[in-house]
Amino acid sequence: MPAQTIQNTARRNRIMASIGILPVVLIVTCGLLALYEPRFLRSSNLINVLRNASFLSIISAGQMLVIIVGGFDISVGAIVALTSVSSALSIVWLADLGIESVAMIVALGCLLGLVPGILVGLANGFFVSVMKISPFMVTIGTMTIAAGIAGYVTGGTPIYDLPDLFTREIGRGSLFRLPYVVYAAAVVLGLLWYMQTQTRLGRYFYAVGGNEKAARLSGLNTRKYIWAAYVLSALLAGIVGLFLTARVGSGEATLGSNLMLESISVAVIGGVALKGGVGRIPMVALSALFLSVLSNGMSLIRIDSKYHIIIIGIVIVIAVAAESYRESRRAGHG
Amino acid sequence: MADQTQSTPLDLRAIAPHLLLPLAIIGVVVFFAALQPAMISGGNVVNIMKQSSLFFFVAAAQLVVIITRGFDLSVGANVSLVSVVSSMVMTSLLPGLGVEIGVFAGVCTGLAIGAALGAINGVLVAYARINPFVVTLATMSIFTGIATTISGGFPIFNLPEGFSFALNQMTVLLLPIPLIIAGAVAWGLHVMLTRTVHGRVLYVLGDSNEVAHVGGRRVREHLFFAYVTSGILAAIAGLLMTAQTGSGEPNLGTSLVLSSIAAAVIGGASLRGGTGTISAPIYGALLITCLSIGMNLQQINGSLQPVVIGAILIFGAALDAYRTRGR
Repeated sequence: MPAQTIQNTARRNRIMASIGILPVVLIVTCGLLALYEPRFLRSSNLINVLRNASFLSIISAGQMLVIIVGGFDISVGAIVALTSVSSALSIVWLADLGIESVAMIVALGCLLGLVPGILVGLANGFFVSVMKISPFMVTIGTMTIAAGIAGYVTGGTPIYDLPDLFTREIGRGSLFRLPYVVYAAAVVLGLLWYMQTQTRLGRYFYAVGGNEKAARLSGLNTRKYIWAAYVLSALLAGIVGLFLTARVGSGEATLGSNLMLESISVAVIGGVALKGGVGRIPMVALSALFLSVLSNGMSLIRIDSKYHIIIIGIVIVIAVAAESYRESRRAGHG
Repeated sequence: MADQTQSTPLDLRAIAPHLLLPLAIIGVVVFFAALQPAMISGGNVVNIMKQSSLFFFVAAAQLVVIITRGFDLSVGANVSLVSVVSSMVMTSLLPGLGVEIGVFAGVCTGLAIGAALGAINGVLVAYARINPFVVTLATMSIFTGIATTISGGFPIFNLPEGFSFALNQMTVLLLPIPLIIAGAVAWGLHVMLTRTVHGRVLYVLGDSNEVAHVGGRRVREHLFFAYVTSGILAAIAGLLMTAQTGSGEPNLGTSLVLSSIAAAVIGGASLRGGTGTISAPIYGALLITCLSIGMNLQQINGSLQPVVIGAILIFGAALDAYRTRGR
């Protein structure tokens, strides 16, 4: 039955094309690491990898949303720092006010701490969607402003004296041996996955990024969706900022300085197309996991940390070159 | 709107954009001079000339690729790597071959490395057709990694005195040497961009990639050489900055990436490609240098200075969006 064989091969090719080689690369990397360095498989190490992957995937999911609508968010790292400083300051401030319940202080402080980051997201969205300024320039500008303010407010010294509930429970607490941030990442990724695949809102994001003009002409308020993407990205960066602050136990203006590059790398390796309109949550999550495994593995086999950025840079080039090769072949055949 | 006003050449709105930046620069200088007379003291003017000359090179490196609707995020890493390698070459050749040959070899190595790094970017952007943002993002981390690896993360001291003298302290007709070099390079770039086929192709490329292809030019080669030029310009900046600090620094260029793009765009190059003349990096470098030197003299908190630069960046980009809205 040759016809059916051809059909089967076609289907297999289609499935392969939609999954890509990332899962294979991830499994091979894990396998090699496990063979070469048995410590990789220790549960404490695996939990560590999972924790880093959670931080990375939350912030990269926001980056992905912005890239899908045809933009960039360079300011995510600075938003993490800003949120760290603002949440620490508001927790300390609320504690000084004499509020009795520590839980109340922490909850209110976290909510207040998210505000500056969301303001940055609103500003990004306004300049990009309403003023039509290049997202690259806008977010570079807001990045320097946010980082400058965070540095100015702290004056270079971290903010200590955060309540135990915040640093011990949120930062180091765990449920079924998994840190809370893993659950947070699962919830965030699940919600975004649901939005992207099951709701109209998600499809509108793709439509805006795929062809903004067509989307506008067919009656979509494209500004609204672009704006929403930047605010969501800022909110997710803020959430990462809260968890990281709890983890390190103090409000620091230098927190998350390399998350901007890492989040863009994760998105790019996860197949999010920089021209907009393409990108899926599961791939971004896999890609975040892959980068976390890679850097964990490099530390385990004692590759000097100075080489890490070289290797990650090379991985990005290979990933994108493979992507553009696949795309040119697809264009050539179709 | 700009098209309508073009017919009347003396219309203020037509020439206003060309006067805006020089006026802004003069305004900044006058403002800080009023607050702090040291701003226009002889020593500070020389300082402004030197600093903006150094900054001009990274902004110009950025301009060449921005014209093609590209980016070069790796300029800063390029500066660092050139600084480290040329310093290592100089310090290792110095005992055996003497100052002159050592310095000459160091400068040549620096330029060659800049060209090579630019060529790597160029191959990936022009021939492998990868998005320039991603390419230079990746090469930025690779080059930075190499610079910190080979230097061990420490500055390289004991550079020959002659090097600092020849590339920083020497004056010709009262003008500091970086300014002379910047002037010569600016003139060369201006001729290249306006009088040669290569220059024209770069503008066409930025306007529309397809038109350039249809026009029958070997587009990839031109795009490739734009990145090589950018790499060489960044290398010159690296050499001059090394001469100024007097040591090879593995993190010399870290802060230059964003400000170089800022300078080029504030000066009038559009990120949408196809526009931008040699005046863009000149004005942009002067404006940002005057601002930061002024803020330093005024002793404004170091963390707040980027806030000002960031606000100006967004303002410049808004101006750009306004200018190009008609197109």
